[in-house]
Amino acid sequence: MARNFRVYEKKRGHRRTGSRKLGSAGEALFFAVFFLLGCGGLVALFTTLVVPEWRVNHEFVQHTCTVLGTRIAEKAESDGGTVYRPEIQIEYLINGETYVSWTYDIHNSYSGGRDEKQAILNQFVVGAQYRCWYNPADSKEVVLVRGYNWWVWLLFIVPISFVLIGGGGFIYSALHLGRSAEYRAATTRRMVQPELFDRHGQAGADFPNVPTGANMTNSPGTKLAFRLPIATSPAWALFTTLLACLMWNGIVSVFLVIAVSGHLEGEPDWFLTVFIVPFVLIGVGLVVIFIRQLLVTSGIGPTLLEISDHPLYPAGRYRLFLSQFGRLKMNSLEILLVCEEEARYRQGTDTRTETRRMYQEQMFLREGFTVRRGEPFEADCEFAIPGNAMHSFKSDNNEINWKLLVKGNVEGWPDYQRTFPVIVYPNVSGSSNP
Amino acid sequence: MNEPRVSIQLDGNGRVYQPGDTLSGGYELESILSGDVSAVEVSVLWHTEGKGTEDLEVHDFQRFSTEDGDWLVPGRRGRFKTTLPNSPLSYDGLIVKLRWCVRVRVFLRRGKEVVGEMAFRLGDVPAAEAVVS
Repeated sequence: MARNFRVYEKKRGHRRTGSRKLGSAGEALFFAVFFLLGCGGLVALFTTLVVPEWRVNHEFVQHTCTVLGTRIAEKAESDGGTVYRPEIQIEYLINGETYVSWTYDIHNSYSGGRDEKQAILNQFVVGAQYRCWYNPADSKEVVLVRGYNWWVWLLFIVPISFVLIGGGGFIYSALHLGRSAEYRAATTRRMVQPELFDRHGQAGADFPNVPTGANMTNSPGTKLAFRLPIATSPAWALFTTLLACLMWNGIVSVFLVIAVSGHLEGEPDWFLTVFIVPFVLIGVGLVVIFIRQLLVTSGIGPTLLEISDHPLYPAGRYRLFLSQFGRLKMNSLEILLVCEEEARYRQGTDTRTETRRMYQEQMFLREGFTVRRGEPFEADCEFAIPGNAMHSFKSDNNEINWKLLVKGNVEGWPDYQRTFPVIVYPNVSGSSNP
Repeated sequence: MNEPRVSIQLDGNGRVYQPGDTLSGGYELESILSGDVSAVEVSVLWHTEGKGTEDLEVHDFQRFSTEDGDWLVPGRRGRFKTTLPNSPLSYDGLIVKLRWCVRVRVFLRRGKEVVGEMAFRLGDVPAAEAVVS
């Protein structure tokens, strides 16, 4: 058994790899549990919510009853809150036998909002007669309202997603149980990109794992062939900074108010006060970042960059045309061609991204000049991609990204940087086969 | 008896190829008894090394299995042949490294596996150097 089902396998390089069989079995078990939980949830929802509603609408018999009294039933929750439900006492006569019951709908469920329940009770006048529906198999089971609640179907989203994820994951895991990493990769690729494989099972795409950069050539330039899209627009960066600033400081302010009011009332909570200090400092930092971003967005006009051709190839020469709008006194404005490696990895439950720059060259530099409103600064330059450059690359967790950076140093304003990604393709002319 | 192993040989120049080149070679299962092999997988693939989580993609994949009626004889030399793609090229980066290899995985009876690997380079991109800022 141990021979066939090892917990750990041999180290490969610097990595210790766990048993693939055990991993696959664990994965299948995880998804199976997920699937069963979903099925259980579906059955529970059907039996407790859907079936009773259906029975009331299709099997219960309409009748007439007299209201004897009304009340709001209360139930204390474990968190200290209270939930309510309306209850109406009715009297009805079936086959000469009188029944008295506290009822409203078939669910008998409690929820928050006492006023809503009172509003329901106000619709019923003691002594008046109303329609009711009773169970012919058990005349004691009676309701005053029937119909279907739309919110019941919303609840199905949760178990259905469990069933789909669990079922799909289980089938995938079961199909790949005991399969090699290569088999998995090959079958996954066949499923995702069937056109990449011919009948001999060989990949046939032009440039696998090189981004197409289609959105980089869909905007024509005014002076050169294409206007390059900016990586992150200043307005979007401002919005995300504002959102982060508001969310962080909103949460921190609650604790800050508690801490400050404690001090004002002469009952300081020193643990809370000390604990909250670093969070307040981070909040202040976010405010500073937001103000800086606000200044950059509002004070510095748009930056446009056009390029003579795209995609780029090693040893290729290209022209750039730069337009900088705004009303600025520039200390310097430069364009850099950079290439960065990006690696994503998991650390605990976090996914971390690390970036390292392995190529940087200044394409253009202009110092000490003024940009006037309505008269954008315009400049062009020429640059070349190194002949032995690595091409752009993208896989699930690793990337190689080429980009043009426009960096500005404005007198009296924060420095700014705008990024324009470009795609570098590999040269394919150097086949060494006869 | 020696440990079971897989030996792989590449034809031609051996280790450095260009996009569009034909990669061919052979493999041999050594110290494996006849009848012990249940399946053999031959893959031409690339995988990443370095800081990030490993990515792996298979360019060419063949599986021979006794379940599918394939006749697997350890002493017989197997062959593989594929046209290499235009990308991704081999790369020795700072935190991202891209390696190409031929990997032969042999599935033996009783669940044991033997893996042989032969690395090769696709393209001639030099190793990266850190930018001094």
